[in-house]
Amino acid sequence: MWKTIVRRVILMIPQMFVLSLIIFVLAKQMPGDPFTGLITPETDPARIEELRIQAGYYDPWYIQYYHWVINAFQGDFGQSYTYKLAVSTLIGERALNTFWLALLSTILVYLIAIPLGMIAGRKQDTLYDKSITLYSFISYAIPTFVLGLIFLYIFGYRLMWFPTSGTVDVGVEPGTLEYYWNRLYHLILPAMTYAILATTTIIQYLRSEIIDAKTQDYVKTARSKGVPMKIIYRRHIFRNSLLPIAAFLGFTITGLLGGSIFIETIFGFPGMGQLFIHSVTSRDYSVITALVMLYGFLALLGSLLSDIIMSIVDPRIRID
Amino acid sequence: MKKNWLFLSVLFAFMLILAACNGGGGSGSEKGTETDNTEKSGETEKSGESEATNDSLLPMEVTNEGEAIQGGTLRVGLVASSPFQGIFNYELYEDAYDSDILAYMTNSIFDVDGDFLITDKGAAKLEVDTDAKTATVTLQGDYKWSDGTPVTAEDLIYPYEIIGHPDYTGVRYDDDFRNIVGAEEYHNGKADTISGITKVDDKSIKIQFKKVSPAIYYGGDGLWGYAEPKHQLESIPVKDLLASDAVRKNPVTLGAFKLDKVVNGESVQLVANEHYFKGKPKVDKVVIEVVPPTSIGEALRTGKYDLATSYPTTQFDSIKSLENISVLGRPELSYSYIGFKLGKYDTTAKVNVFDEKSKMNNVELRQAIAFATDVEGVAEKFYQGLRVRGNSLIPPVFSFYDETLEGYHYDPEKAKELLDKAGFKDVDGDGIREDKDGKKFSIRLASMAGSETDEAIVEYFRQNWKEVGLDVQLTTGRLIEFNAFYDKVQADDPEIDMFMAAWNTGTNPSPAGLYSVGAEFNFSRYVSPELTKLLAAIDSEDAMDQEKRSKAFREWQEYMSDKAMVVPTFFRTEVIPVNKRVKNYNVDYANLTELQDIELTADAPIK
Repeated sequence: MWKTIVRRVILMIPQMFVLSLIIFVLAKQMPGDPFTGLITPETDPARIEELRIQAGYYDPWYIQYYHWVINAFQGDFGQSYTYKLAVSTLIGERALNTFWLALLSTILVYLIAIPLGMIAGRKQDTLYDKSITLYSFISYAIPTFVLGLIFLYIFGYRLMWFPTSGTVDVGVEPGTLEYYWNRLYHLILPAMTYAILATTTIIQYLRSEIIDAKTQDYVKTARSKGVPMKIIYRRHIFRNSLLPIAAFLGFTITGLLGGSIFIETIFGFPGMGQLFIHSVTSRDYSVITALVMLYGFLALLGSLLSDIIMSIVDPRIRID
Repeated sequence: MKKNWLFLSVLFAFMLILAACNGGGGSGSEKGTETDNTEKSGETEKSGESEATNDSLLPMEVTNEGEAIQGGTLRVGLVASSPFQGIFNYELYEDAYDSDILAYMTNSIFDVDGDFLITDKGAAKLEVDTDAKTATVTLQGDYKWSDGTPVTAEDLIYPYEIIGHPDYTGVRYDDDFRNIVGAEEYHNGKADTISGITKVDDKSIKIQFKKVSPAIYYGGDGLWGYAEPKHQLESIPVKDLLASDAVRKNPVTLGAFKLDKVVNGESVQLVANEHYFKGKPKVDKVVIEVVPPTSIGEALRTGKYDLATSYPTTQFDSIKSLENISVLGRPELSYSYIGFKLGKYDTTAKVNVFDEKSKMNNVELRQAIAFATDVEGVAEKFYQGLRVRGNSLIPPVFSFYDETLEGYHYDPEKAKELLDKAGFKDVDGDGIREDKDGKKFSIRLASMAGSETDEAIVEYFRQNWKEVGLDVQLTTGRLIEFNAFYDKVQADDPEIDMFMAAWNTGTNPSPAGLYSVGAEFNFSRYVSPELTKLLAAIDSEDAMDQEKRSKAFREWQEYMSDKAMVVPTFFRTEVIPVNKRVKNYNVDYANLTELQDIELTADAPIK
């Protein structure tokens, strides 16, 4: 297995290289540049031109690309033009916010989806099952921003149970217990929104796996031996039914790190999704390139992770 | 079975909530506030209720009765759909959100009046010697920075040394700045200091300019209106300033409040500056938080904020009848316009070249288009009076604004008359006019994509023009994204005959940067000897006399209106919501409430 993993990792290098080339060239093809937005009657066009030359925008693309690659290998992805910060610092800050949101969302997704999926599968065709399916349909059909706004409206502004924007209140002292609690408190509402929307697939997978498993021979054998249904479900069916969900896990984790533009915008949460959209509209090339590279890397990593997780939970599968 | 029902009823309740919200999320807010607030009486609006019949005129001032509390925290919503950048330094910031925050701890040394002219009421006063082309800036007292260090002449010089520095990468090292004698030599590394700036004594500095114009009284011509704490910034190389804590976390400032805490991109907490030279503010703290524009209305209704830095005009409806909010308004420093392409910008010679053969070079045609555009109708239907028809290229905030100028009212008959006169006649009877030679005539309009109403407005205008027999097609067939739009307009794309855009004028109303021969932003590319003369008159030494300048401004406005190469469409009103616990608040530029005077009448914003 180790051989395969190493091979996959090595294969990532040419993949990332091609991706960087494509995104670098395409990003520069977009109309405008980071300075377009600075136009006011009081700015001096000559100064903007000077800044463009300083930033190297008039160099041929392969020279710009060459500089970028050389710097990237040294861990320097350039400066953000809009935020005036090193790209790595900027992304690092946002990625951390997104990471905590993603982590809580993932936990909530599984906390909601696994019991619901199990109930639906176990009590197939009962009222339970039907209501859970109905819930799945609704949560599948409802757009992110609609649910986000509804939650914000009800729990944030009407009931005032949760804060309505940001990641932490400005008044609390960093490092204290109150600070961490405050951060968690800010995460709950956006994470909840995300979780509810993401449960559908897992519920439906789990449901059909359990229904499938019920008719399997090992279940019949266990029943005929007199094992109570409760234990059969817990020990045998549940474990086997989780396999396809485990297969998703890698993708789920890395996918969430990409951030969600809707949730972040609605809850005023400075994360990766917002950073990406903002960098595209403001033509912040260095940030765009670095983010796309990161997303590409995460996607590749996600698929590798999924394969590894699969081989751990299901001994029948071996990747060689 | 019992369990069954419980589960189902929860699900059902959840769905009901969803349904309820979908139905009345936006408008169901008014009922609640009435009952919430009846007991909190005593608020009156000085200029509100009686004038409320006139929708387009929002009051500029509100006075709430009630005992002011000691201290308190002013809560401000920073309306932004993305995080702020957090560069708290006047030489380096570029983001409007940062400047909204900076305003609370400003390092500004000059005060300005309603026309944005520098007055003697600030920390420093300005004396200009027109003959010697010098300005003397003098501190008017023993002032202290927020850390208690005295403000000195060195602190007045230091910002110039930041902007002029070879490592400075901001936009402010510009043509204006090079007007200071010695600025270029310093920027090129040939000199260690700017030779034109000298320290007179501990409290004053003298600046030698290459030329002085009326702009200097607005802080133009290279004059810089801010001080920087040299004792704090000196040790940090200019190229490292942007990333330094002195700029991002603990700036030493001069204004009413000082920065206490920052959550990057999200919120800041400021505390009263006890050293503030106008006196310690009455409010203890200010908290400024980013709020997405989608929820600012709801946040104001539920009393999360006392003030909002801006308010989306499209959502005006949802706050205008709230009981806990006074909605103030003032004219924006901007105008929207329709421009006609009449030439090209010569990038090598850096001049605009007027092309007599250009398609739109026909005054009557341009005037006809202006007359045929139902600006008034759009202002009323789409903007609820928050925008009004613009008659001039100078917004009404300025005293140079010519209110007597007629401009172009909606008058389709007049438009038809003008077109007939100009020789645009419908030869083949399809309802669309042909040009003078009887050939098909179609105009291509470039317009920016933005809010959802933009498309509707453009389509409405196109219909207006069709009614008078003009065929107007959209460049690229649809609205154009912001960056691409300015790329095309600036590059004089041949696919553009006319375009709809807007300018923020800034506080110096001089139009030279937008309409002169050398101005790259003169997008219509119209130039004429007469125009050059009129523009020169506005910024001439003669015009240092306000009356003469005012006259020059009026002449220029009339000329622009006659030639109609750029036709103003809308003036905008800025909506400023204020919670009723804020005791007095005035947003009139001529009479702004100063930060140290803000008082609150309750412990938390009124819900």
